[in-house]
Amino acid sequence: MLSRLKRPHESASLVIVVLLLALAVFFVVPVLWLVLAPTKTAGELIHDGPLSFGSLANIGTAWQHLIAFQDGVLLVWLRNSAIYSALTLVLTLLVSVPAGYALALMNFRGRKTLLAVTLVVMIMPSATLVLPVFLELNQFGLIGTIWSVVLPMAFYPFGVYLVYIYFATSLPREIIEAARIDGCSQLQVFTRIALPLAKPVAGLVAFFSFVGNWNNFFLPYLVLPNSDQFPLQVGLNQLLSSTPAFNPVAGGGLNITSPELALAVIIAILPVLVLFVFSQRTLVSGMLAGSTKG
Amino acid sequence: MTTVDTSVAPAVTVIASPVRRRRRTGPAGWLFVAGYTVLLVAFGIFPTVYAFYLALTNDRGQFTGLNQFVKVAQDYRFLPAFLNIALYLVMWLVALVVLTVAVAVVLRGRIRPGLSAIFRFLYYVPGALAGVASVLVWLFMLDPGVSPASGLLHALGFDSFAAVLAPGDLPVIFVLIAFWTGAGGWMVVMYGALNNIPDEVLEAARMDGAGPWRTAWNIQIPMIRKWIAYMTILAFAAGTQLFVEPQLLQTASLGRVSPTWSPNQLAYVYAFQKGDFNGAAAISVFLLALGLICAGVLVSRSDLFTVDDEA
Amino acid sequence: MSPRSMKSGARRRLTIAALSVTAVMLSACATAEQSTAPGGGGSPAAFEPAPQQDGSQITVWTDSTRLKSVQAYQAAHPEAKLNVVTYDGSADGSTYLQTKVQLFDRTGNGWPDVVFASTTDVTWASQPANPQAKAFAAPFDAGLVPQATLDGFAKGSLDPCKFNGHTYCLRNDIAQVVLWYNKKLMDEFGYQVPETWEQYEALGEKVAKEHPGYLIGSVGDTNSHESYFWSSQCPALSLVDARTLKSDLSDKNCTRMATLLDKLIAAKSLTTQGFFSQSFAKDNASKVLMANGPSWYGKYLFDGAFKVPAGQMAATGPLKWDGESTVATGNVGGGVWMVSSHTANLKTATDLVTWLTTSNENQAGAPTYPAYSAAAKAWLANPENKQYFATDVSDVLTKAADAVWTGWSNTRFSDATAWSNVVLPALTAGRTLTETLPQWQTAIIDEAKTVGYTIAGK
Repeated sequence: MLSRLKRPHESASLVIVVLLLALAVFFVVPVLWLVLAPTKTAGELIHDGPLSFGSLANIGTAWQHLIAFQDGVLLVWLRNSAIYSALTLVLTLLVSVPAGYALALMNFRGRKTLLAVTLVVMIMPSATLVLPVFLELNQFGLIGTIWSVVLPMAFYPFGVYLVYIYFATSLPREIIEAARIDGCSQLQVFTRIALPLAKPVAGLVAFFSFVGNWNNFFLPYLVLPNSDQFPLQVGLNQLLSSTPAFNPVAGGGLNITSPELALAVIIAILPVLVLFVFSQRTLVSGMLAGSTKG
Repeated sequence: MTTVDTSVAPAVTVIASPVRRRRRTGPAGWLFVAGYTVLLVAFGIFPTVYAFYLALTNDRGQFTGLNQFVKVAQDYRFLPAFLNIALYLVMWLVALVVLTVAVAVVLRGRIRPGLSAIFRFLYYVPGALAGVASVLVWLFMLDPGVSPASGLLHALGFDSFAAVLAPGDLPVIFVLIAFWTGAGGWMVVMYGALNNIPDEVLEAARMDGAGPWRTAWNIQIPMIRKWIAYMTILAFAAGTQLFVEPQLLQTASLGRVSPTWSPNQLAYVYAFQKGDFNGAAAISVFLLALGLICAGVLVSRSDLFTVDDEA
Repeated sequence: MSPRSMKSGARRRLTIAALSVTAVMLSACATAEQSTAPGGGGSPAAFEPAPQQDGSQITVWTDSTRLKSVQAYQAAHPEAKLNVVTYDGSADGSTYLQTKVQLFDRTGNGWPDVVFASTTDVTWASQPANPQAKAFAAPFDAGLVPQATLDGFAKGSLDPCKFNGHTYCLRNDIAQVVLWYNKKLMDEFGYQVPETWEQYEALGEKVAKEHPGYLIGSVGDTNSHESYFWSSQCPALSLVDARTLKSDLSDKNCTRMATLLDKLIAAKSLTTQGFFSQSFAKDNASKVLMANGPSWYGKYLFDGAFKVPAGQMAATGPLKWDGESTVATGNVGGGVWMVSSHTANLKTATDLVTWLTTSNENQAGAPTYPAYSAAAKAWLANPENKQYFATDVSDVLTKAADAVWTGWSNTRFSDATAWSNVVLPALTAGRTLTETLPQWQTAIIDEAKTVGYTIAGK
């Protein structure tokens, strides 16, 4: 390891590497533990080494127990999560790409106000608005419908801001002017020139929006009262509170224990994890793209 | 918790070139922003105004002045909840800023790029387990019965899950969880920001005889000040909203953790247990004000968001 | 945008404006109190069922312990359409059900038709949450079940269900506290089974010396205070009337129990780790010599969780105090079933609840002691239950069922919250019960005030 270090201050560097490794252990061991947990039975989880591998058969057993819970409600939750997140994602993109584009490259009355409000709302703690949003949705009779999660989540000022920054820094105005002179309408300029260029930033917005929607808890927890409407995150909470994994009093008699809970967590994060693993490089280059031009 | 998840990107926002003078394009612009504006009004502006309205009235719609604020502030759960969150925020922000920046500096300057990339990836992966999943994982990590760190827990004098959950330990536990899911992403961002500092600048510093630590302190860190401020604002906003973590811990600990540990939980209890949305709104307004004031201070101190045209 | 750029004159004007607004806000304003104190609504209007739809599907919320019973009903009644949802069953002071019903009240639909809940839930479910809403629970005496059925429940067991002269729930089980002991171990060690608290204490100290590691009880569970302090007739939560609560933990009935428990905790024959905590069953289950606890410890804890072999566990008590002639004991839980007043299928909902609570078919094999008298007889006579215990526990359980002290009231807040988030962490941190009593009392009083109780002086 030492040979790979850049500088010759070996003792200082050694300390640094040790500290970095310790940090890596902190970040990685819980993930490893989680991945290994469903391969063991509840008993083995306690008695065997924490990072030992049990058997693949145990995963199958845990899976069957999970699926048996309320006639496979886990799959319903998974489907719900997918529908909510995907629908929200589409709406977010449809709304924020044109908005960011217009804020950056068009001039209209109220533009600055809109931009300023967007900035303020972006840094507001959004959960504090969930209660008034709840009352508002209730007024319109939307509580308990899919729109009660999708519409508020589709409001994504951060996404608009990303698109704004992207267009403001990377699309030369001259191109637009030229296109206008060539007789293109505003809409044509947007669809023919801006949209094709917007792919990287759209991907970035899509990533953040999807991850945020998938992991959202507070809003669906409030606005979706019925268990068969829950997204997976809220479902996990129900799984925790009504099974013996951590609640032996309430959960006696069910065979949802630690390995099943761990498996449920893995299922819940899998889509996001895959996205994370495959998108780090793109993400970093995407999010720093603007800076090189700054 | 959306803000935590968005945490990885915002560095861009800080840097933008001055935008040039432009010709009015007329009402066509309105068409482009129409959808967004509707959502902004419906789920950003209206709820904020509505929260203020609720906090200033009672359930009969009568104007109550500051009485709702006085009422909730006198609740015996109010002060502990805000103290809890304050303690948590201080520890979380200090840990986040110090460690993220330090690690980014080290990864940028003292380690081979290949090795550095591996470390960054490892730190960043738990970010996928935000929200409920992270709490569930840490429930196991903190239970000496199954935890891979059970040796460490026993050495610290924690022999049971109940002992780990002593009231004084809770802010630390929430900081651990938040750091585990959130810090890696920020390290990647900070690393990227450092990477954008031109080599000539660093070279010049080295020529002046500055060692790596002095360079970091005097040149690199000041140059990424805006990113640090931005991270702090978002982490602060996210931190004030703490809800899932204490809520799940309360369930898992069979009630050893108070059901009103954080202000957001207290607002929830007001709204859905007492049916008192006005009191709940007053608590939300407190949180909102806290978040905006702190963000305002940071923004004005760091010249963040001075992006737009007025130049 | 930046505050620094603001002109000082403008700033002064702004300050003045802000001050005058504040002055206005502080003067002459309406009260911030809710129009109705929570749960304190007047007498509810006569019960009006929702429009009925025969044979429609009903949603049942149950805890996972009772899940098997609901499934058994479904198997026996294939024509009934049930949508069964598992939830925490309001255990350990959970307010999940209450918050969800509040939500449904706001949205005007979505209520579950049948719920398994705690007696605490009946306190709010029997009252409308606000003037526009309807009380969640349907009164069973309004023609849902015959009076004879209601009369068939053990004396006093429906008391927590009764408000304004109506019965809003059917009690699933009673959880009278008795002293459970492992007869095999007691015989092996040559110990006498204690009959009084003083003997219990003496035996605890003896066990600590002669057989260290063995346990004569636990105070670490969310409900341990009901096993010990309720049994000691400690006036922790006594309703003087519907709106006034008295809580006096400095009463000698409380301090005597605290002193006794502190001694045994110090001697290490009483654990502060809960029987139901994560690792207790695997580490210490075989070390439990005695446990003062509810009737359901027998089958549910010792058989189900601790896997103590048949023929070992026996029960005695309830324990008395020297010089006291009355026998009094505590009660730990005892769930109830409620039918929603909003259900479109009262027929199926009521039939399900009646079957669950009163039928021998369900109750004889239940893990808990049935509240319905005839079912309790069947439960005691069930060979499976008889064979499990080392002695005949019928007399002990029957006697204890009649001895539950009535001075511990069913309040609008759960008694578990203060106990588990104030007292239990203090015990874990090594503090004594005696020094924690004042804190516990403050927590109870604080909580009582927030749900609208007036606190009575001593």
